Amino acid sequence: MASASDSSPPVAPVGEPRDRVDGRAKVTGRVVYAAEAPVRNAVHAVLVSSTIARGEITAMDAASVERSPGVLAVLTPKNMPKLEYVDAKFHAEKRLPLGDLRIYYAGQHIAVVVADTLERALYASTLLRVSYREEPPVLGLGDPAAKIEWPKGEMTGPLQFEKGDVDAALSGTGVVTVKQTYSTPIETHNPMEMSATVAYWENGKLTVWDSTQAVVNRQKALAAVFGLKPDQVRVLCPFVGGAFGCKGDQWPHTFLAAAAAQAVGKPVKLMLTRQQMFTGCGHRPVTEQTITLGADGQGRLVALRHESKSDDSEVGKHIEPCGAGSSAIMYATPNLAYTHRVSRTNIASATFMRAPGENPGTYALESAMDELAIALKMDPVELRLVNYADRAPHNGLPFSTSNVKECYRLGAEKFGWSRRNPEPGSMRAPDGARVGWGMATATYPAHRFPNQARIRLMLDRDGGVRAIGAAATQDLGTGAYTVFTQMTAMLVGLPFERVKFELGDSNLPPGGVSGGSATTAGVGQAMSEAAGKLRQAMLKRAQENSGSPLAGLTPDQVVFQGGRIVAANDPSRGVELSAVLKGGPAYIEGLNEANPAGADNLPAKQKAYTFQSFGAHFVEVAVDERLPIVRVKRVVSVMDVGRVINPKTAGSQVQGAVIMGMGQALLEETHYDPRTGRVVNDNLADYVVCVNPDVRSIETYFVGEPDLLFNAIGCRGVGEIGITGIAAAIANAVYHATGRRVRDLPITAEKLMRPA
Amino acid sequence: MNNFSYILAAQPDEALRDWTGPGRPAYLAGGTNLIDHIKLGVDQPQRLIDVRNLGLDQIEALPGGGLRIGATVSNTALAYDERVLKDYPVLSQAILSGASPQLRNAATTAGNLLQRTRCSYFRDGLSPCNKRQTGSGCAALGGFNRTHAVLGTSERCIATHPSDMDVAMITLDAVVRLRGVSGERTVPLQDFYVAYGEDPAKENVLKPGELITAVDLPATEWFARSYYFKARDRASYEFALASAAVALDLREGLVRDCRIALGGVATKPWRAHAAENALKGTRPTEQAFRAAANAELSSAVPRAHNGFKIELCRGTLMQALQTTAALA
Ligand SMILES: Cc1cc2nc3c(=O)[nH]c(=O)nc-3n(C[C@H](O)[C@H](O)[C@H](O)COP(=O)(O)OP(=O)(O)OC[C@H]3O[C@@H](n4cnc5c(N)ncnc54)[C@H](O)[C@@H]3O)c2cc1C
Ligand code: SF4
Repeated sequence: MASASDSSPPVAPVGEPRDRVDGRAKVTGRVVYAAEAPVRNAVHAVLVSSTIARGEITAMDAASVERSPGVLAVLTPKNMPKLEYVDAKFHAEKRLPLGDLRIYYAGQHIAVVVADTLERALYASTLLRVSYREEPPVLGLGDPAAKIEWPKGEMTGPLQFEKGDVDAALSGTGVVTVKQTYSTPIETHNPMEMSATVAYWENGKLTVWDSTQAVVNRQKALAAVFGLKPDQVRVLCPFVGGAFGCKGDQWPHTFLAAAAAQAVGKPVKLMLTRQQMFTGCGHRPVTEQTITLGADGQGRLVALRHESKSDDSEVGKHIEPCGAGSSAIMYATPNLAYTHRVSRTNIASATFMRAPGENPGTYALESAMDELAIALKMDPVELRLVNYADRAPHNGLPFSTSNVKECYRLGAEKFGWSRRNPEPGSMRAPDGARVGWGMATATYPAHRFPNQARIRLMLDRDGGVRAIGAAATQDLGTGAYTVFTQMTAMLVGLPFERVKFELGDSNLPPGGVSGGSATTAGVGQAMSEAAGKLRQAMLKRAQENSGSPLAGLTPDQVVFQGGRIVAANDPSRGVELSAVLKGGPAYIEGLNEANPAGADNLPAKQKAYTFQSFGAHFVEVAVDERLPIVRVKRVVSVMDVGRVINPKTAGSQVQGAVIMGMGQALLEETHYDPRTGRVVNDNLADYVVCVNPDVRSIETYFVGEPDLLFNAIGCRGVGEIGITGIAAAIANAVYHATGRRVRDLPITAEKLMRPA
Repeated sequence: MNNFSYILAAQPDEALRDWTGPGRPAYLAGGTNLIDHIKLGVDQPQRLIDVRNLGLDQIEALPGGGLRIGATVSNTALAYDERVLKDYPVLSQAILSGASPQLRNAATTAGNLLQRTRCSYFRDGLSPCNKRQTGSGCAALGGFNRTHAVLGTSERCIATHPSDMDVAMITLDAVVRLRGVSGERTVPLQDFYVAYGEDPAKENVLKPGELITAVDLPATEWFARSYYFKARDRASYEFALASAAVALDLREGLVRDCRIALGGVATKPWRAHAAENALKGTRPTEQAFRAAANAELSSAVPRAHNGFKIELCRGTLMQALQTTAALA
């Protein structure tokens, strides 16, 4: 295999379906999450939330709180220490908590109560008396009082875009058009583990255990806000119990825990309640998207317009890039336009949620494509093949690799798509239920953030060689520990069992955010570079021995293999790693250079490509005739994500994403009271997600090749792509079963019962 | 701190005696509902009297046939009891359609009968709610009310009674056995609940301090032909959007007698008398089932978000009737 980098080409055990290295510890309850940090004498902080959605705090009486037994401190906007709002890019909100008396949304933190026990803190928090001057809240995209913004787009690429002349193309003769509006509600991440922080100060240094997707970003943000140097802050996060984006940016509670710890001079533990998870760490905003498609008689798209609206609080920073994440990239069309609009509402701040933009965007676009296929009397797969893009429509750059056609082919074959009768309502289950088959394309970009990693080789007491890889990255529960253990083993040519990987500590070589499905790709690249440095160090030491079989070779000319460092072109020429390490320092390490190729500074050859993953979902639903409740019977998902390091953990990512997408399609919606703006279903009994009996057969397959133009490992990441397209595939299947097109998620019984 | 004391009573009479004393008392069984309410600030008892040690955890055969189910028999034990599975399948099915295995292991018979509504405005401890705070209003009326009731409502309260088990028990002519300081009494389960009239806080005829000791099920042969059907958004672990419990006495192609009750749509476990009357004496056809459902649902009152429940309930009941009629 050709290698596009300076590292040794990836060989086994990469690609093995390994069990998780932390699996046993997890199921036996032995891993330590943030709230369980082994910190002695921690006291407890409880957040008090605003009960109104808009207005101003006019008075706060904390006297009885302060007098309540066990209370150590009460932080309110009045006595909150002044912190610096700097390094805006790390913050989820445009404002620091308790910074002013303004109320932007219900659930906003308005005070922190610290007491010696959780119970006393909780009780005392109920004694706070707050008076507000209330204003009528702005709720929903349709609220005429909402301030409207048309963002340009910084991270996402242009958000207001037009290429060619969409209107002219749409009015061309013989053009078949579809124009429809699709909407998705606010969805809340709801990972199992609630966000939590344990913070303590020691000799002016701050240590924070935080449930986070980015220990280094936390470290930088905390240092900046508290006026410290980064090395005066340490952030630890060995395990995360799920995140999906809600632990990506810096949310206010982490600052509050650190400020509270400073105020009381003791370690402080703060955990959001499940209720606060609905307002304190973001959600996917509501979206409303109008798609206009125009196609010629062969189904070729002559024009595509994607107008997208989403909302956010006045202090939020999120834009849901629906069109930029889908229509910009998926189908070849000479005339393309997309716009994005944000309404400012008095709903808690929004944020990234698994495939932000791509997910609601593909729901809308892939639903519209299904409607177009029906208008053209074309098979939905055929329509997509006709519109295959070999380059990204918005920037004209070819995809580094694209195997979406193979995704369609294999998916259709595994699913049995050829047996589909296109007539809606024509297929039945043995029990008489209506059966529907639908499909949709999945897509997600490849991201890679700057990362550093190190690999150390050392001798055991028994003389065996061990490797420890490390990076300040995170394992969100996805299997990162396992995959990086595999990668380390591969890069140093040692058996899996002799390798360990460390992460989740800002003292380790700085890693990037675990978001954008970028962890494996980014850290993998860094590790491959670190392995190069390690070869260099090992070779240097080996060559210190006179008569070394490696004499005269450069680092590029050697590889690690079978516990030895050997000449790449002659593996019989080499030395045992143990022999090189013997009598030397405790370990020999390789650490890659800071700030290697990241998203912003790709090498020139990479600037010539668009790096994008594609896939396809095929779905069967059953809908009872009398009780129109949709059940997903089976899903076949085929993904091309470049190299798959561990088919087991990667398959789980796609499966989990499909399940989450099933919830999005059929169940999930955060409801707000239309008068108060408070969340009505802020618990896991009322915010319904899929449970085991909802999940029947989900088959996942991977196709494609290593994307070695993208990074040395050839992987593009797999955490998010599975949740793109799946809601559309289900909606399309529901249409096929019932002849009813539901254009507003979730597809609940009442929507299928609406008069047509 | 809202402190409370905890008393583990060893005898029913001891529990009754413990009821009187300083501070508001409450009986504690599995705690799956009561402890939630304490944590949510909806209820603040000062003395918890644990009733799980009163020797009321047996399911016994009654001398004249039928079963006596002790108040603290767990929902799990009841659902898997051989006699229940054979003679009252609707009860087992109803229980197993509810909650989760962990919850059913902890939840008890009496606790299930007395569980309170899941109305989120009741549970938020904050919104106007006549059930939580008499006379404060009803936030659900003009709020988000998708899961609220369409039968037995008033302009004071539209909260759904959430139980599955109780709906099945109503179809089985269950009788509740109560014990108070002045002795024992029995109340048919269908008279035990009151629709929310003047005071939505009053949900049943239980007197303060009265203890539920057992529920009796009579021996009625045709109750073996019974069935529970529950419609909900996801396939498990969710309260009913609509449910129907049905028992049919089918002979010579006619419905001689029947019991029908509805769940998830009413302010109490809803004995569907109108549906029963419409069905009795008819042939078990789709048409008759529809007529029965229509008879019951003609009085349903929809609100902003729950109108679909009427149609859903119609389908649920027809489905339950059809399946029950087809049972061997
Ligand atoms: C997440 C969740 C999902 C659920 N889903 C369902 C569902 O789908 N279907 C369903 O039917 N139920 C469901 N439940 C409710 C569950 O069935 C009830 O919480 C349970 O039955 C209550 O029983 P318990 O023994 O725990 O009662 P407790 O919580 O202990 O008590 C409830 C009430 O009964 C009183 N009480 C208890 N015993 C006696 C007695 N012997 N005499 C007098 N008063 C007494 C208590 O004082 C209290 O007021 C769910 C609950 C949860 C938390
Ligand atoms: S429906 Fe009943 S329980 Fe719910 S808010 Fe209204 S009064 Fe309270």
